[in-house]
Amino acid sequence: MTERATRAADLREWHITTPVTPDAVAKLRAGDIVYLTGVVFTARDGVYEHTLKQGHEPPPGLCELTNVTMQSSPAGVEVSPGVYEVASLQATAGFRYAQYMDAFLEKFGVKLVIGKAGMAREVYQSVFQKHGAACLSTMGYGLGAIYGKAVERVRQVYWAKELGISEALWVLEVKELGPLLVEGDTLGNSFFEGANQEINRNLEKLYQGLKQPIFRRLGEEQEPGRELF
Amino acid sequence: MPTALDLIAQEAIYRAAYEANRRAAVAVPLDGLRAYERARDGESRPLARYVLAQMVDNFKLAVAEGRPMCGDTGLPRYYVKIGNEAAPEGGFVALERALRQAVAEVTHDIQLRANRVHPLTRRNPGNNVGVFAPSVDYSFEPDADWLEITAVHKGGLFGTDYRMLFPGDGIDGIKRFLLDNMAAFARRGLSCPPVTVGVGIGGAKDQCVRLSKEAACLRVQGDRHPDPTVAALEDELTELGNKTGFGAMGLGGDTTVLDVHAEIAYTHTGGTPVAISQFCHAYRRCTARLYPDGHAEYRGDPQWFTPYYRREGIS
Ligand code: SF4
Repeated sequence: MTERATRAADLREWHITTPVTPDAVAKLRAGDIVYLTGVVFTARDGVYEHTLKQGHEPPPGLCELTNVTMQSSPAGVEVSPGVYEVASLQATAGFRYAQYMDAFLEKFGVKLVIGKAGMAREVYQSVFQKHGAACLSTMGYGLGAIYGKAVERVRQVYWAKELGISEALWVLEVKELGPLLVEGDTLGNSFFEGANQEINRNLEKLYQGLKQPIFRRLGEEQEPGRELF
Repeated sequence: MPTALDLIAQEAIYRAAYEANRRAAVAVPLDGLRAYERARDGESRPLARYVLAQMVDNFKLAVAEGRPMCGDTGLPRYYVKIGNEAAPEGGFVALERALRQAVAEVTHDIQLRANRVHPLTRRNPGNNVGVFAPSVDYSFEPDADWLEITAVHKGGLFGTDYRMLFPGDGIDGIKRFLLDNMAAFARRGLSCPPVTVGVGIGGAKDQCVRLSKEAACLRVQGDRHPDPTVAALEDELTELGNKTGFGAMGLGGDTTVLDVHAEIAYTHTGGTPVAISQFCHAYRRCTARLYPDGHAEYRGDPQWFTPYYRREGIS
């Protein structure tokens, strides 16, 4: 259904293989749809901490193999010693990893980051642009079965003992992993920021006449139109 | 005391706990599936419609292939309703052991994500079982000899919040809280809308948080509270939630909220504690009713909020 549905929604669709070329990444625009074939590795809190704070090097050969990462811990298990399977796959909210992106893109040579819901536009402009990288978002979210089916094989799982299975670095062979939304492109555009502007105009009207709560909480944002990260 | 024949066998309890848990992770119950299909068919924005179509396709693919429908399989938890005449073999300690064992086995067999970790050391036992995990809540039912085990896979780092309101905040205070909750969590689709919203109003603080989660997860689409004041509020809040226009994935659309379910508890005369929980589009639950002869019936409607549970008419 995908090609037809993508057209119906008036979206541009790309089918890209890994490692992605600088040229392929530069062509992506916020709001496009991407399907990926090749190899993708996962990294989230555990891997960022392990490599960027504790200084461990990327697993040998990984950076030559792929430059696409996913902020994810797959729903998968070790079916026999060293052999893993993935049933379902989804990314986690990426905004909380913005702080790691500069060092991470540098150290791993990553050009595509797949997360959930993207990051602030300023991060794309100050970090992603510099590295010629783009930020993709899973859709839905939670199209776990669809993304899980795209995993053809688990090549390797690194650091399962040190970080635990849900924070380990999984190397996944994927075929047509998608649909993924281009959230932040190499020009520094964020697709969500566009959607937010329209929604905020609408929200303002709904808030009219509703007072602030009598008792407020210290240290919290009071402006509903702002992002909270 | 019940005779040995009346006991609900340990093995049957384990099997029902396993099966309800497995089904919950894979198959969205019918009321949810229909509600997402309706949202898709009624959606006026092409992009939101595209996203909703993907969600429905994903639900169907998950069932066809026995895969968890979201890669984040949430925190598996149980709600157990116990008939007043029901007697589990080995007692309730054995029942709880069966629930823990079922979580560990399902985690392995259908590849749930091992989500549960020590909150400080982050150590992961790898099977979703640990200190206070899985969480289990109980309720009772008069004149019944069955046990009901409802498994819920509650996802989402986002969507739950608590606010101490006061009588002077009025209904407007609850409306504003809902808007704030949507603006915080439906933005960029962090809570994975369209969501089913539970609102817990009154009681003590912990009670309203618990009720909001149960209201979000354990009532079916379209269900209304028996108290007409509460039911009217449910309608009003559902409409308000959708007027925000966040839509599927927060990209802008007609359906942000499938339904709002509110629960009330009598509260302190000076305050109105309120909690809101969002049940993400990984709308995962399954209920098994287990009879003393060991046979189990599975269904999508937990029927958790019975008149007895709400203590309706009891003063
Ligand atoms: S909030 Fe729900 S649908 Fe979204 S990623 Fe988490 S479990 Fe999946």
